[in-house]
Amino acid sequence: MGCFHSKVTRHEDPTELASQTAFIVSEVEALFELFKSISSSVIDDGLINKEEFQLALFMNKKKENIFANRVFDLFDAKKKGVIDFGDFVRALNIFHPNASQEDKTDFAFKLYDMDGTGFIERNEVKLMLIALLCESEMKLGDEIIEAILDKVRTFVTFLDADINQDGKIDILEWQNLVARNPSLLKIMTLPYLRDITTAFPSFVFNSKVDEVAA
Amino acid sequence: MKIFKADFDCPPWFSSSAKKLIKRILDPNPLTRITVAEIIENEWFKKGYIPPRFERADVSLDDVDAIFNESRDSRNLVEQCEEGSAVPATMNAFELISTSQGLNLSSLFEKQMGLVKRETRFTSKCPANEIISKIEKTAMPMGFGVKKNNYKMKLLGEKTGRKGHLAVTTEIFQVAPSLFMVELRKSEGDTLEFHKFYNNLSTGLKDIVWTTTDRGKVEEKDGDPFVPNSPKSAFTPKSENSLKNSSKALICITEAIVPKEATSEQQKAKGRMHTKCL
Repeated sequence: MGCFHSKVTRHEDPTELASQTAFIVSEVEALFELFKSISSSVIDDGLINKEEFQLALFMNKKKENIFANRVFDLFDAKKKGVIDFGDFVRALNIFHPNASQEDKTDFAFKLYDMDGTGFIERNEVKLMLIALLCESEMKLGDEIIEAILDKVRTFVTFLDADINQDGKIDILEWQNLVARNPSLLKIMTLPYLRDITTAFPSFVFNSKVDEVAA
Repeated sequence: MKIFKADFDCPPWFSSSAKKLIKRILDPNPLTRITVAEIIENEWFKKGYIPPRFERADVSLDDVDAIFNESRDSRNLVEQCEEGSAVPATMNAFELISTSQGLNLSSLFEKQMGLVKRETRFTSKCPANEIISKIEKTAMPMGFGVKKNNYKMKLLGEKTGRKGHLAVTTEIFQVAPSLFMVELRKSEGDTLEFHKFYNNLSTGLKDIVWTTTDRGKVEEKDGDPFVPNSPKSAFTPKSENSLKNSSKALICITEAIVPKEATSEQQKAKGRMHTKCL
C-alpha cells in the first residue's frame, strides 16, 4: 500500500473514510492524490491552508473571495484553520452526484448564511451580490442591485416561502425554495467525483502492478 | 507511481509501431499526449480499421442537448412558449451568486487534470433580441451555422478541428430589467478551439458586451474570460469570518459603485442609505 503519512500529519485511513462516505476505497485513494497536490503547493505539511485553497481555486494564492472563504470554513469542520484529508473527503462527499438532496440543501444554506445566524438575511444576499459583481468587474448602480434583491424577495413571498414574513430566509423556507427551484443547488454537485479514479489512478491499482512485476 | 512516470513495459510480441503508439497514448502529460484525431491518423491504427459512420441529421436543439447530456438543467419555461412570445429565462440572485469563481469547486479538479474551462459568460444591457442577432451576425462569417430556439442558440462550426466540429451552446438570462447574462458553453469539439473562437467572437461583440469603463485597476488589457481575473478587488475583507468587517468593506464598495452620473447630493444620500442598511 502507498504511504499515507506525510512528514508532519497522520492522515485518516482510506478504508475508514470510505465507510463514512459514499466513496469506495479506490475513490478515496484517488482523492488523496488530489489532496496531496493541493496541500503541498505552498507548505508541504499534509494540510490545506487558506492560501493553498485559494491557489487551487483561482491560481492565485493571494486572491481573497468571500465565497471561497465560506467554503473553506465549511470544509474546516474542526475549526483548525486548515483542512485535513478527512475534512476534505467528508466535505466532498456532499458534492458527489449521489449525495442526498438534503445534505446538499443544508450545505448550501450554511454557505449563504455567511455569519451563521441560521437565517439568510437580505443584507447577506446584498453583500454576496456585490462581491460577485466586483469579481466580474461589473459596476451596477444601487437601483439595479435593489431590483435584483427585490426579485429575490418577490420570489420568496410569491412562493409563500417567507411564512413568517420577516424578510429573512430560514432553513425551512430555503428547503422549500430549493425544492421548487433545483437549479439553486447546481453548485453542490461535482460530476468529476463520479470518475475520480480515472482522473487520479489509485494507489491500490499501482501497487498490484508492482507486485506482479516483482 | 510508475504510471505517472510512464514506466511500463510492453510484451515482447508487440510490434514496434504498436509500442510507439501505446507510448504516445500513455503519455502522462496531457499537453503532449496523442489526441484521438492523431490516433485515427496513425499508421498502425489505420490497418484494417473501418471508420464508423455518423448520421448528422437535422435534429432539434433539445435532442442535441439531451444527447450530450448537458449537466445544466434546461430552462424548460422557455421551450414551452410559442415562437416569438417567449422571454429569456430569469436568473435570480442566488443563481447569479452561484456563478462566482469561489463557488465553482470543479476548478479544483480541472486544474489538476489539465483541463480548461468549457464555458464563459458576459453581460449586456442590450435587449435580448439584439444580443441574439448580433451573435448570429458575428458567428456566421466565422464559419458557424446558427440554430435558434427562443433564447438558446447552437453555433455549429463548419470546419473540422482537432476533435471534430466545434459546437457551442448559447443561452441568455435576464438578471434585472435591461440587464442580461449570456452564457456560452462548448458542447462538442476541442476546448482550446472554443477559447480561440470566443476570443474572436467577443471582438465582434464589443458593441453589446457590457464592461466597466474604468479598467485602471486591472493589469492586463483584456482579462482572459476563462481564467479568473485577479485584479486588485475593491473587496478585500481583513478578517474572513466577521460579517462586521465585511460590512465595512461593503460600505466602501457601495460608495464606489454609485453611478458617476449621480449628483453629489444623490451620492451622499446613497452612501448614507447603505450604511443604514447594514
